[in-house]
Amino acid sequence: MLVGANRSSFDRSSLFSVEGKIALLTGASGFLGRTFAETLLANGADLIAVGRQAKLSNQHQVWTEKYGPGRVHCYYVDMFDLDALAKTLDEVVQHHAVDVLINNAHELAPSSGFNTPAGSLEQGTMDVWMRNLTAGVCWPALTVQKIGAGMKERGRGSIINISTMYAVVAPRPALYEGTAFLNPPAYSASKAAMIAFTRYVASFWGRYGIRANAILPGPFSNTEDAGPNSVQAGDPFIEKLKANTSLGRIGRAGELAGALLFLASEASSYVTGQNIVVDGGWTGV
Amino acid sequence: MADKLEVTDATNRAQKLFDLTGRVAVITGGAGLLGTKHAEIIAAAGGAPVLLDLPQAKPEVSARAIATRYGVDATGLAADITQLAQLEAIRDQLLARFGHIDILINNAANNPKVESGGSASGKVWSRLENFPLEIWNDDLRVGLTGSFLCSRVFGSEMAKRGKGVILNIASDLAVIAPDQRLYRQPGVAEDDQPVKPVTYSVVKTGLIGLTRYLATYWATSGVRVNAISPGGVFNHQPEAFLAELHQRIPLARMAGADEYQGAILFLCSDASSYMTGANLVVDGGRTCW
Repeated sequence: MLVGANRSSFDRSSLFSVEGKIALLTGASGFLGRTFAETLLANGADLIAVGRQAKLSNQHQVWTEKYGPGRVHCYYVDMFDLDALAKTLDEVVQHHAVDVLINNAHELAPSSGFNTPAGSLEQGTMDVWMRNLTAGVCWPALTVQKIGAGMKERGRGSIINISTMYAVVAPRPALYEGTAFLNPPAYSASKAAMIAFTRYVASFWGRYGIRANAILPGPFSNTEDAGPNSVQAGDPFIEKLKANTSLGRIGRAGELAGALLFLASEASSYVTGQNIVVDGGWTGV
Repeated sequence: MADKLEVTDATNRAQKLFDLTGRVAVITGGAGLLGTKHAEIIAAAGGAPVLLDLPQAKPEVSARAIATRYGVDATGLAADITQLAQLEAIRDQLLARFGHIDILINNAANNPKVESGGSASGKVWSRLENFPLEIWNDDLRVGLTGSFLCSRVFGSEMAKRGKGVILNIASDLAVIAPDQRLYRQPGVAEDDQPVKPVTYSVVKTGLIGLTRYLATYWATSGVRVNAISPGGVFNHQPEAFLAELHQRIPLARMAGADEYQGAILFLCSDASSYMTGANLVVDGGRTCW
């Protein structure tokens, strides 16, 4: 806990500092995950990245070159194999006292119902539903269990779950009419469950000094990758997204960095059980 | 790929994300317990706080202390924020001096201690059945009319320039009802038990409505409008009160007076550039269960 006497000399950089903290991030190689990883590393935190080798190993090399050896530790696992994920997390806690846990990974692909009729309300398969619920609920449940145990012992920790504005408002059908895009109901449901889980953790572990919060990004379209969930910068779909925000534009990935640093640092020492909505005013109207 | 990483890196260092160098921030109730804390973090981030408060609160004294401590331009101005002409004069004065106004923090509100004291009529004034119309009117005048007028005067100026931030200080009591059991006095008859005034809930909830209204109204003018909803600040309250209150908060404690500064700076700076119309609840988890 922060005591007034110790705070007399702080400045903005120390208030939001993550220097020397150890942060575990899932989905570090994804579109937003890369920004979270860079934000943590650039501000002095060490990064533990958990995810698939095919996606992570290149990033590991890039970041090690950029931030020096020993700053990034990658643990390779297919998170859909929950037994393997549990073992991986057991291994992580043997080597690292994690201060900040960021549940960011999700599968945004046709296999989880994105941009395919197989994900729709009418036709969504139970496999699609289970993949979303596994990513949105089981992954955070497992990481919180495994990483949270050490946080409880140490009496501190910040858990940050990356949800979506679609946990509090529904996608609008007009966005998708005449396009090949589809945002499946299983995604909304899993991410809404995630914020309920966030509150549960905040409620039960607040007494141990552990805080749990969610970030709910609005439209942060992936215009950088050529993957199954990317959108070309000039796509008319982007124009439709812009029209749904108050600010009249989609978010840039870096615009989530402030919320991340706020929640990861002592700047938010009295914030727990909350949703930080970063949506350009989408849900305000 | 390397280029993209460079760009991301350049924009995400805390020092730059949360920087307010040269930004002029008007803070109402600026000489109060929390108002001075808001002004301090603005100053620590390089901004120029302008503390507005009633003459008897001596805002110029608070401003001088902040200017000395942080080495920034800090101004204290005596003002009644319910008087439009005074606010317009202050706007003109600030524009003549700085050329711009960048931030408005609507922080001023009446918040008397809940006590058992009776009014002249011999009845406990805070109870709804007795609540004096004059107090209702004055609380709304300071908390809501004052915020509206400041938004109108200073916010319009920001909208005209195409950039600015308004931050409304609401309360956890904008999200939940007061738990009147917290304020009970032993040995006092039911009808004489003091309560948290109705105006506090009404004013703070009204500020959330003002936040959303202004956020959409000025969105395309580059003015972002957000609220924070703080819980209670530890200020040496009686032990029994604290024990009761702590049971209602997951973090099991009240906030430190400086514990809202992170949220203030986050929402006043470009670190929150894609946030508008939001309510950031800083309450130790009190409203999450």
